[in-house]
Amino acid sequence: MRTFSAVALLAAFLLIVALPAATFAQAPVPPTETDQTLHAMHDEMERSRTRLQLPGVDKPFYVEYRLLDIDVRSVTSSFGALIASNDTRNRFMSVDVRVGDYHLDSSNFVSEDGFQGFLGTTGEVGIDRDYNSLRQDLWLSTDQAYKQAVTQMSLKQSFLRSLTKPPEIDDFSQSTPIVKIDPLVKPDWTSRNWEEESRQASAALLKFPNLNATRVNYYLVYFTYYLMNTEGTTIRTSRSLAAIEAALDTTAGDGMSLHNFYAVYVSKPGDMPDPATVGKSLAQAGTELGTLRQSPIVSDFTGPVLFQGAASGALLAQALAPSISGSRPPLSTMPAFDEMMQRMGGRSEWSGRVGTRVLPVGMSLIDDPTLKEYNGQLLLGNYDYDDEGVKGQRVPIVENGTLKNLLMSRRPGPEFQASNGHARSALLSDTRPLSSNLFLQANGGLNAADLKKKFIGACRDDGHEWCLEIRSMDNPAISSIRQEDFSEFIGAVAGGVASGERVPLVMYKVYVADGREEMVRGGHIEGLQLRSLRNIPAYGDDVTVYPYMQNPSGGFAGTALGAFGSAQGGIPSTIVAPSLLIDEVEVRGFHGEPRRLPLVDAPPLTQ
Amino acid sequence: MTPTHRAKLFFRSIAIVVASAGSLAAAGAAQAPTPPVLVAMKEELDRSMAAMSNGDPAAYFISSTVADRQYSEVSGSNGALLTSTETRARWLEVQTRVGTYQLDDTHKLADRQPSWTSPGTSIVVDDDIPVLRREIWRETNRQFRAAGEALIKVKTSQQVQVQTAEGNAPDFSREKPHVSIGPRVEIKVDRKPWEEKVRAYTAAFSKSPEVLNSIATFTALGMNQYQVNTEGTQLAFSQIHYRLELYVQSKAPDGMDINRYANFDWLNPKDAPDDKVVFARIQVMTAETEALDKAPLVDPYAGPALLTGRAAAVFFHEVFGHRAEGFRQKDINEGQTFTSKIGEQILPEFISIKDDPTQPALDKQMLLGNYAFDDEGVPAENVQLVDHGVLKTFLMSRSPLVSIPQSNGHGRRQLGFVPVARQGNLIVSSSKSVTNDQLRQQLIEMVKAQGKPFGLLIDDIAGGFTFTGRQQPQAFQVLPLVVYKVYADGRPDQLVRGVDIVGTPLVSLTKIVATGDTPDIFNGYCGAESGSVPVSAVAPAILISEMEVQKKETSTDKPPILPAPAHDSEDKGQRQ
Repeated sequence: MRTFSAVALLAAFLLIVALPAATFAQAPVPPTETDQTLHAMHDEMERSRTRLQLPGVDKPFYVEYRLLDIDVRSVTSSFGALIASNDTRNRFMSVDVRVGDYHLDSSNFVSEDGFQGFLGTTGEVGIDRDYNSLRQDLWLSTDQAYKQAVTQMSLKQSFLRSLTKPPEIDDFSQSTPIVKIDPLVKPDWTSRNWEEESRQASAALLKFPNLNATRVNYYLVYFTYYLMNTEGTTIRTSRSLAAIEAALDTTAGDGMSLHNFYAVYVSKPGDMPDPATVGKSLAQAGTELGTLRQSPIVSDFTGPVLFQGAASGALLAQALAPSISGSRPPLSTMPAFDEMMQRMGGRSEWSGRVGTRVLPVGMSLIDDPTLKEYNGQLLLGNYDYDDEGVKGQRVPIVENGTLKNLLMSRRPGPEFQASNGHARSALLSDTRPLSSNLFLQANGGLNAADLKKKFIGACRDDGHEWCLEIRSMDNPAISSIRQEDFSEFIGAVAGGVASGERVPLVMYKVYVADGREEMVRGGHIEGLQLRSLRNIPAYGDDVTVYPYMQNPSGGFAGTALGAFGSAQGGIPSTIVAPSLLIDEVEVRGFHGEPRRLPLVDAPPLTQ
Repeated sequence: MTPTHRAKLFFRSIAIVVASAGSLAAAGAAQAPTPPVLVAMKEELDRSMAAMSNGDPAAYFISSTVADRQYSEVSGSNGALLTSTETRARWLEVQTRVGTYQLDDTHKLADRQPSWTSPGTSIVVDDDIPVLRREIWRETNRQFRAAGEALIKVKTSQQVQVQTAEGNAPDFSREKPHVSIGPRVEIKVDRKPWEEKVRAYTAAFSKSPEVLNSIATFTALGMNQYQVNTEGTQLAFSQIHYRLELYVQSKAPDGMDINRYANFDWLNPKDAPDDKVVFARIQVMTAETEALDKAPLVDPYAGPALLTGRAAAVFFHEVFGHRAEGFRQKDINEGQTFTSKIGEQILPEFISIKDDPTQPALDKQMLLGNYAFDDEGVPAENVQLVDHGVLKTFLMSRSPLVSIPQSNGHGRRQLGFVPVARQGNLIVSSSKSVTNDQLRQQLIEMVKAQGKPFGLLIDDIAGGFTFTGRQQPQAFQVLPLVVYKVYADGRPDQLVRGVDIVGTPLVSLTKIVATGDTPDIFNGYCGAESGSVPVSAVAPAILISEMEVQKKETSTDKPPILPAPAHDSEDKGQRQ
């Protein structure tokens, strides 16, 4: 009873401000449109907008439908034999209903209590693309979402009353309605035999009998994303992605478990490299892992570290993610929720620093979803409109070392209100401001030889016989053969990522005396945070395009853990960056007890 | 495929034939040739045991299981197709036990929750022996290492642990080896007609404005299981199962969830239910849903109750069956209702109960809990649990009790879980039976004798969950879905809703006064510690002299505000 009277009071107050919202109308779907999905979404939304109301409570001021129509082919092989081959077709919906108004609405609030509906606001829907069943599903979810919003609003109101100073930031920013209905794309898997290609490619690893296990995953996906809201936005857009991700696993002579991975991403199945090419790359990864297996363990080290090529992109993916979002976190009644976000590295180091210097003078950071490629290389983070229907914009985050902008969704933050088209998600997860194609650019980069010279000089000046150069960083989302290995990794590093724990994969000692290089294994980095990038001694004039998938599951996106994703459910992203020389990096060697070697030798891989 | 690769596979298949011939000679008799998977498993088993039995700690038992699973699922909802998939996968599980049969790495520690899930991994579906061996080798090493670490914990904890009577029971039973290589099964499913069917079935539900959501799911399973262990067991056996499930959801005006469920199970594609039969069932389910929506709530009541066969079967499964599972007697955290009652009268003397997984069917109806070997490689046994009311024994896996040292072939699990003692086909019989009409007459007489206005007729029960742990009250909850008041004065029966049964199991079991003469079958999937396993429960209708019921908790979620789009006269939507 109390709940509802509080809501009723609130409703009476909100009616005045909420009035303009009621005047919004949906964009009509042209009668000639044959896509029944659009018609069903439109008709059920229109009915909800005009007639969905509990007695004594206000109508929703905002209704949003997201629908994902997804076709996936995935094939996994190991050592030339097939493990799994699946074709799946699914459709998912997600319904958002808000009560209140743009300043104060039912969103941005996390609470233990709340409405427990029997069906929920998200779910699988029929794959026939028919009208009737989709309306039925949307009807039930909209009903649940509305009731949830009403309950959330009342809980949020009482929570706000308990605060000495409620936040003044709006809950939701205004946005221009967009109507953009792209043609439907029919999946083209090509005539290539993907099972056979994955068998063939993975057979290249038969030449590496020291590998304990391997997994070569082919993942081909086509999807159509629908977005409709009561502000008048209607978007239908189709995309595709094709990926090969492979994990290789071995044990060193002292029992240390080691792995390597390989990943390639293209925009459609037809662009996939042929199995011979993939086999060659896998063999390279196998050779590299073989060398790693034979290499000595690194000892503790603090000093200059050179992040070469892709290693610098991978480092930035972890270090930058939490700090480039400008949206405020949701209000929460649960201290545990805040703690969890902190633990996962969700804390922004750049929060409140707009206008101050955060990177070296001369260095800029730009996120640009409008670009499709860079120097002929695919940029995975390209899109026209973000997942909230806002046009993707080029955002100069850092100009000449000074923090100027942050990435914004329609959830405002303390510094910026409006969205700049960076609300992203995968598989209809909650949208968050995330990077798309992130460019770290700088004038005065050194060529490879000069950078090496500078690196060795810095090393000598610091009094070392050798320093470390990192060529690649680990991504356990891909390099773990089993899901539980990844969970174990996450459990182990989750506490450390916020404080700057990073996991290198391929690392070399570079000797000051003669520039000799020696691969080493077993080290991880501690305390490497974003502020270490504020003053960096040198960077290269090289540019490496590092494609990766941001992981939206478990609330990882927008935290340092978000950098560990895979094509399965990941958010396609790219980082373009030069090699970076960073001072005062702390590398911890291996200190645990290596595990016992297998009592039984591996059986022969070939007969 | 490159030519060299093709050649290599060809040579591998030659090797398989040779290996099979060798094993065939060893196994003797008219056995099918040894499948390549089993060859790989056996080779790695022998190699591992040779080394690990001399390890520190030493392995005394190793087993490996591969489940080769073909699975099709076609699901529809509200008139449209929801999913249509087909998968084939091989799942490998290796168990390496270190220590002794008496005390090993799996020993349950009082202060630790046991892990119910069993580690395993997906392996190649191609019959590539070297690659299979590599996967088995890796998994065996992994398990051996984990077992060694676990044994250290057991041994350190063992020294300070309080001993219970059953704590002295060995951790693992010794069993005879079994060699049986059955034929490989393969299912061929044309999903197209099923896609049409599930659309049509769920569209039929949608005709009722009371139906909020409906799902129809067709599944086809073809599974070949392979097992080897160091005691000498070598098995290849299979399972086929086709199933159609219908599910419909509604909400009463006060928000109470109403749902109806039906399932059809068959072994042979030609025994699939006819559309006519399915549509008739849909009609019944829809009518029941609509009637339940309007039915009044039950008031708390204690008095005579008649359970129809299907309801009685679920009742016995929940109330008796779960408590007869052997591993519960070993665990001091369990209620141990029956632990010390072997040889005692626990039921009326006219009731006998057996669990017989060896029985494939009853009156031509498939029994879902049928299997030849359990998930620990022990042959299924027909176990007489209760003989004329007297408790005789428990269902046993290879986790023995002091008094029952052997498995009786009931160690079962869902893939990915550790097997524990579970039910198969629980079959209740009675020597005091009357016709179902006479049983109903007895109910009315009993109602009159007790001076009550009505008795309860319970027609359908959802497999609820049983609180068997010691922390919870010694009560069971089963969820009656269709319940009628049967009036003593001859008024027609009245459907009521929101009925929850309350009571203590031992008491309710002793209050059975008579039974019907027609056994009814309940086929379903039972969820417990070792996951979801297929089971049957068979029972005649039962008359209970006193049953206590209470009102079920109501959901706070009211029915939807707007009518269903297809039944909304004010809706302006164009395309329907």
